[in-house]
Amino acid sequence: MSDTENPETASEVRTENTVEADEFEPIQVFPESEEMDLRPGSDDCYKCSTCDTNCPVAAVDDEFPGPKFQGPEQWRLKRKDDHDIDDSVMSCSNCMRCDDACPSDVPLSQMHNTARGSFVENQMDKLSREYVRNRILANYGALARLGSKVPRLTNFVMGNSVVQKFNEKLLGITSERDFPAFADETFRTWWKRRGGVAASKKRAQDARAERDGANVESDDKRVAYFHGCYSNYNTPAVGKAMVRVFERFGYEVMVPPQRCSGTPMFANGMLDDAERAAEVNVRELAAAIEDGADIVASCTSCSMSLRQEYPELFDFEGTASVAARTYEALEYLRVHEDLEGALDDAEIDGEGDAESENFAYHAPCHARNQGLAGQAVELLDRLEGANAEDVGDSCSGISGTYGWKDEKYDTSMQIGAEMFDHMESVEGETGLTECPTCAMQMEHGTGYEIRHPLEVLEEALVD
Amino acid sequence: MAIEDDVLVVGGGIAGMTAALAAAREGAGGRVRVLSHKDSTLKSASGLIDVLGYAPRPAASAAGRGAGDGQSHGADDAENRAPETPLSNPFDAIPDLPDSHPYRIVGEAGVREGLALFDDATGDLYRGGHTDRNALVPTHGGRVKPTARYPASAAAGLASDDRDALLVGFETVTDFDAPLVADHLESVGVPFDAEGVTLRFPGGFRADAKLTRFADALDANERVERVGGAGYTETLPAREALAETVKDHLGDAERVGFPALLGQHAPAEVRADLEAELGAAVFEVPMGPPSLPGMRLEGALVAACREAGVRFTTGNPAVGYETDSSGRVRAVRVERNGAAIPFHADQFVLATGGLVGKGIDSDREGVREPIFDCRVAHPSDRYDWFEDDAFGDHAFARFGVEVDGELRPLDARGGSEFPNLRAAGAVLGGHDFAAEKSGAGVSLATGRFAGRTAAKEVRD
Amino acid sequence: MASTPHTVVVGGGSTGCGIARDLAMRGVDVSLVEKGNLTHGTTGRMHGLLHSGGRYAVSDQASARECIEENRVLRDIASHCVELTGGQFVQLEDDPDEYFEEKLQGCRDCDIPAEVLSAEEAREEEPYLTKDVKRAIRVPDGAVDPFRLCVANAADAQRHGARIETHAEVVDVLTDGTEVTGVEVRHDSGPGKREHVTPGERERIDADYVINAAGAWAGQIGAMAGVDVAVRPSKGAMVVMNCRQVDTVVNRCVPKGDADIVVPHETTAILGTTDVEVEDPEDYPEEQWEVDLMIDELSKLVPILREARTVRSFWGVRPLYEPPGTGTADPTDITRDYFLLDHDDRDDLAGFTSIVGGKFTTYRMMAEEISDHVCEKFGVSATCRTADEPLPGSEDFSVLRDYMEEFGLRSPIGRRSVQRLGSRADDVLKTGEPNPVLCDCEAVTRAEIRDAIDQSGTDLNAVRIRTRASMGNCQGGFCCHRMASELHPEYDAPQADAALDELFEERWKGERHALWGEQLSQAALNYALHATTMNRDRDPGDATVDFGAFDSGADDLHEEVNHGD
Repeated sequence: MSDTENPETASEVRTENTVEADEFEPIQVFPESEEMDLRPGSDDCYKCSTCDTNCPVAAVDDEFPGPKFQGPEQWRLKRKDDHDIDDSVMSCSNCMRCDDACPSDVPLSQMHNTARGSFVENQMDKLSREYVRNRILANYGALARLGSKVPRLTNFVMGNSVVQKFNEKLLGITSERDFPAFADETFRTWWKRRGGVAASKKRAQDARAERDGANVESDDKRVAYFHGCYSNYNTPAVGKAMVRVFERFGYEVMVPPQRCSGTPMFANGMLDDAERAAEVNVRELAAAIEDGADIVASCTSCSMSLRQEYPELFDFEGTASVAARTYEALEYLRVHEDLEGALDDAEIDGEGDAESENFAYHAPCHARNQGLAGQAVELLDRLEGANAEDVGDSCSGISGTYGWKDEKYDTSMQIGAEMFDHMESVEGETGLTECPTCAMQMEHGTGYEIRHPLEVLEEALVD
Repeated sequence: MAIEDDVLVVGGGIAGMTAALAAAREGAGGRVRVLSHKDSTLKSASGLIDVLGYAPRPAASAAGRGAGDGQSHGADDAENRAPETPLSNPFDAIPDLPDSHPYRIVGEAGVREGLALFDDATGDLYRGGHTDRNALVPTHGGRVKPTARYPASAAAGLASDDRDALLVGFETVTDFDAPLVADHLESVGVPFDAEGVTLRFPGGFRADAKLTRFADALDANERVERVGGAGYTETLPAREALAETVKDHLGDAERVGFPALLGQHAPAEVRADLEAELGAAVFEVPMGPPSLPGMRLEGALVAACREAGVRFTTGNPAVGYETDSSGRVRAVRVERNGAAIPFHADQFVLATGGLVGKGIDSDREGVREPIFDCRVAHPSDRYDWFEDDAFGDHAFARFGVEVDGELRPLDARGGSEFPNLRAAGAVLGGHDFAAEKSGAGVSLATGRFAGRTAAKEVRD
Repeated sequence: MASTPHTVVVGGGSTGCGIARDLAMRGVDVSLVEKGNLTHGTTGRMHGLLHSGGRYAVSDQASARECIEENRVLRDIASHCVELTGGQFVQLEDDPDEYFEEKLQGCRDCDIPAEVLSAEEAREEEPYLTKDVKRAIRVPDGAVDPFRLCVANAADAQRHGARIETHAEVVDVLTDGTEVTGVEVRHDSGPGKREHVTPGERERIDADYVINAAGAWAGQIGAMAGVDVAVRPSKGAMVVMNCRQVDTVVNRCVPKGDADIVVPHETTAILGTTDVEVEDPEDYPEEQWEVDLMIDELSKLVPILREARTVRSFWGVRPLYEPPGTGTADPTDITRDYFLLDHDDRDDLAGFTSIVGGKFTTYRMMAEEISDHVCEKFGVSATCRTADEPLPGSEDFSVLRDYMEEFGLRSPIGRRSVQRLGSRADDVLKTGEPNPVLCDCEAVTRAEIRDAIDQSGTDLNAVRIRTRASMGNCQGGFCCHRMASELHPEYDAPQADAALDELFEERWKGERHALWGEQLSQAALNYALHATTMNRDRDPGDATVDFGAFDSGADDLHEEVNHGD
C-alpha cells in the first residue's frame, strides 16, 4: 500500500477525486475483505432490550428498529448466503451507547460496524449521492488537510451560504450547520516550530527538576500524543494544552505521524478507508510504545477507536498493545499522577468579576463507553474557581458525521434537545466536553463557547 | 496517585445504589463511589418492591433431583410447592425463614430500615409505605402479586380495590393481552369486574415500535393522527388522542389500566391528563423488559445518590482485587482493553447481582463469584442445579455468595474472606427471590446494611 | 373389494405423513392417527441432516444410493424445507488415510458427487474448522426441517381428502382373528383440532387396511394386533447450539463413532450424536455424559464449540430393525435399511403391514413402496406422483422478492418468514393488520402464529414446530406467553393457560440440559420474568385469596384503623 509511506500526505489524491461528484471514481471497498462472522456474538444476548432503551436514534427515529434487532437478532438470523442487511443500519449513528448499556457483553457496535460495512459493500450504490457524501464526510481528515493549507480562504468559502446550499443540494450535507473554522496554524506546525520532541524533553526535565529537585532522565515519563484531525486542524489550542499539561507533570511528549483514527469511517461503513488509516496508526503508535511511551488522546472518539474498534475489527501486529496502552488525557494523569492533589492546590479565575467559572459539562457517548463519563466533573470539583455541572447522560445527537447529513439533521437536533435544555439551565454560558463534534453540537444548539477540560487544566496548572 | 475513595461499591443496581446511598448519608463528607460495568438489571425488573410474598418452601424439597429420572415431571414437584396463598404481612414470616436467609442476617429491623431509606429516596414515585401489609398488584401475566411498595402509577390498580376496571391493551404491545388478563383476574376472584379491550395506539406507529417510543410520545405529548368516530382524521396531542380512543370502551369502569408505558420522564403528568380526559382513575400494569417503572426507579435512585454526593464510574468491568499485607482489600482492579486500573478504597461492597446480573458466573464445571472468588455453594453435579419442573425448587435460584453475620463473604474454610468486603443484593445466596418474591427487599435491606456498616468502619 | 378402500396409517412421523399423502393422491381414503403432534416421535428428534449418502458410502452402499436419489427428489419437491448447505467429511491430522480413501471411493461407487478439498479450501468454506484439518471430501449433504416437511405432507394429504388426527393414541388394533378391521384411538381432546381442557373421547375407526408406521413404537402397535415386530430402539443425543457456527454439514471422516457430525439447522447448529440401545422408546435416561461428549468431541473438529452457548439438548430413538435371528450386538452395526413386513405373509394376519427401519431422507421412497403394496392389494391402478409434485409451500417459487415492501417487515424478518413459509408467504403474511414480531429470536410474526393456530388449535407445541417460535436463544422465555395470548379469545383463558404451561414445560425439558454459562443466566432471567414479574408460579388456583387482608390503597385510612397497624 504505497500511500501509507508518507502518512502526512496519504489521502490527498483520493480526496481530490471526491471533490467533483461527477468525476468521482469509486474505489472498490473491501478489495481483499474477509467477511466477518459475528453470529457467535449473539450467544451473549438474553433479549432484555436494555440496549434499545439506551439508543438515542431509536428514541426519535421511528424507522430505526434499535440495536437489539440491528445487532444480535439480525446476525443470528443470517445464513452464509444471506447478504441482505436491513437498510436501517445506515441510521445507526455509532454513538455506541448500546455497548455501554448491554448487561451481557454483546459486541453490539462491532456488529453494527461490520453490518454497515457489509451493507455499504454489497447493497449501496457507489455512484449514489449518499455514498459520495458519506465518503467525503468519513474522510474529514483528508478534507481538512486540504482546507487547512489555505485556512482563511477555506473558512471564507465554507462559510458562504451559497456554498452551503450547494453542499446541501448536491451532496446532502446540511446547510444548517457552519463548517468548523480551520486554525491559522495546525497543531503539528506549531509543534515543529516549537522544537518537537527535543523541546518537550527539555521542558519535562525542567518540570521534574522543579518538583523533585533533580534533573533526572526518565524513560517512564514519556507519552505519545494522538491528536486526531480536529485538534490538529481546527482546535490546536487543545493540543497545545495537552502538551503543556503533560510537560508540567514531567512527561516528555512525542507526536508520532498519524492519520484519522477512523471513527467517521466506521460510522459510515467505510471500513476499507478505516483499515488503511488504522494500519498506519497502529504501526506508528506501536513504534512509540517500543520507545517506552504510552499513548494519550485528547479526543474521546479517537481513544475509543484505538482502544475498542481497532481490536474488534482489525488484526495488525501491535493492535492489542496499542489498545491496552492508550488512555484519554485526563484519565492518564489521574491514574498515574496525583492529579486530584494538584487540582486541590490550584485555582482559576472566573470571567470578569465572577468568583468562579461555571461549566456545563457534557459527557460524550464515547467517553461514557470508556468509563470516563464522570471524570471531568469529579476533577473540576477539586479546582477552586471552577464549577462544572453534568448536563445529564443524554446523547448530544451529532455523533460525528451523523448530524451533518441533511436527512439526519432534524433527528440529530431532536436527540440533542434534552442536552440543550440542561445546558440552558446551568449557570454561565460555557460548555465543556472532550469530543470535538459534541462541542460543535453544543455550540450549535446553545451558542455557548465550548472548551475542552485540558484547556481548563492548562489554565489551572501551567504557569 | 490514582483513584481513591472511602467506600467503593461494585455494582450499580438497586442493591449497589442503596449501599452507596446509605454509606454516603451515614458518613457525611466521605467519598463513596459506585463502580459498574454496564446497565443493571433494573430495566428488566417490574419496578415493584417485593419484600416477601410467600412463606418459604418446606425444607424437605430443597434437595436437587436432577433430570436423570426420565421424563416424568410435574406431579411430585407440584405437591412439594410452597403454599400458594400470598402473605398479607411480610414481616410476620421473617422469623420463619431459614438462618441462611439474608433477612435473618439483617433482621426485621434491617428490612424496615431498608424500606425507610427507599421511601425517603423515592418520595412520590412509590406508594405502600402507609402500611405493613402487602398489596396485590395485577401482573401482565394476569395474576396478582403480593408486593410491599408499588409505583404511584400502579396504585389505582390494586386488586383489593373494589372499583370496576377496564384494561386497555394495544395491538402491537404483545406482552399484554388485556382481555386475557381481565379474564384471568376475574378467575382468581378479584372483588371487581374487569373488562379488557385491545386497541390501536393512535398515531400510526410501526408494528415494532418499542414501549419507550410510546412513553416518549406521551411524555412530549406529541401531536398524533387519530381516526375519529365519524371516520375523519384529526390531529391531537397524544394524551388526548389516547383518551379519545379509550373513551368509547369505558362503560361503568371507574379505573383504567394500561401496560406500563405511560411516560418515562413525566408519568404523573401523563396519568393526570388521561384521568382528566377519561374521568376515571388510571393505572399501569407493570411489565417485563424493557420496564418503564424499572427505568423510572433507576432514575430516582441515581438522583438520590448524586444528591448525597455519590460518584459513579461506569463502563469497564471489575475483574480482580489487590490486598494489603493484613489481608484487607486495598483496591478493585478494573479491566480496560487489556490495562488494569486500580480503584482504591477503605471499604468495599460487592453488589454485582446474581446469575442474570453477572455477579455469579458458571460453566459446565461449576459456579463462582468472578471478582473476589468468594465461596458459592452449589452441588458438584450440574444436573442437581435444577428441578424437572419449570417452576420447581431450583437450586440455581439460590446460587450466591455465603456471608457471615455482617454480610462479609466467606472463604473456602468458612471464615470471612476479607475484613472490609461486604456483599448485598442478588449476589447473596440462600434465597429464591423469584419464588418467595423478595428480590428488591433483599437488595434494599442488605444494601443499606452493607453501606451503613462500611461507612461506620470508615469513620471509626 | 371397495373401490376406495379406507386405510388407517398409524404414526405421524415422516413415513406416516408420506404414506398418507401418497395414498391420498392416488385416491385412496386415508386416516392418519398420531398419539402426539406430527413428528412427535423420531422425526421431530433428529438432527435435520438431508443425507447425501456419504455417511453410508462405506458401510451400506445400498442405503447410500437411495439417499442420493431421494436427496435430489426432496430438493425439488420440498425446496422450502431444504437448505442446500453442502457437506464435508473432514479428516484431521491423526485420522486414518485408508478410511478417507475408502469414503471417497464409496461415494464415487454410489454416484454421490464427491470432491477432495485441501485443508485450506475446507477452512475457507468453513472458517471455524480446526487448524488440524488435513483434508476433506465435499458432498451434497443438506439440511432439512423435518417439522415443516411432515406438516407439508400432512397438509397435502388433507387437501387430497385425507383425515389427519393428532393427539389420537391407538389403544387397540382391532382384529377378527384373521384380519385387522380397524383401530381404536383415544383422543386427547376432540376429535379434530386439539383444544386444551376439552375432554377427549375414544373412537373406533374401521379400516380395510392398517399400516403400522409407528417407528420405534411399531413393536407396541404390533403387539396390540398380536404380532411380533422386533424393533430395536436406539437413542441418540443431540445438542442444539445458539447460533450457526457452520453453514455446511461437517462430518468427521472416521469409520464410526459417537459425536461426529455438526448440522447447520435453521438458525442453529446441531451436534450429534450417540447410539445406545434402549428398552422403551418413551422412557430412557437422558444423560449428562452424552451432552459433554458432543461438546468435547466435536470441539476437536470445530474448536469454537467448546465455549459456545448451547440452548438445549434432545434425544431421539432410531427405529432400527433387523430380521429375526440376525443378532447384531452393537446398535451402530444394525442396518439402516427399511423393511416392509406384510403380516399376512408373515403372521397370517391380513389387512396389516408394518414398515420399520429406514431413515428420514428416504421417507418418500418407503411411503411409495408401501403405497404400491396397498394399492396392488386393492387393485388401485393410480401411480405414485409424490416424487414429481411439489409440496405445499414449495410450488414454483422464487425467493428473490422485496419482503420489506410486500409485507411491511424488516428485511431479515421478511427473509426468514419466506424461508419458512415458501410459496405460502403471501397467503399468510398479507393480513392487512399490524403484524408485530412475537418471537424475536426466530423472527416469527403474529400472522404466522395465527396461521399455525388455525392449523393446530390450542396446541402451542404444534405452533412451535410449524413456525420455530420459542426455539431461539431465550427458549420461549420472552414469547411463550405471547403465543398463548393469540389463542384468546377464540379459546378461553383456562385453555390458553394450559397450552402455555405445556409449551413452557416442553421448552424447559430440553433447556435443562444446557444450564451453565449463558443459558443458565437466560434460564434465571426467564424464571424471574415468569415467576417474579408475572407471578405465574403462584397461581392460587381454586384457593381463595382474602383480598380484604391486603393493602387496597393509601386513601382508605379507616381500614388501617380496623387492622390496627
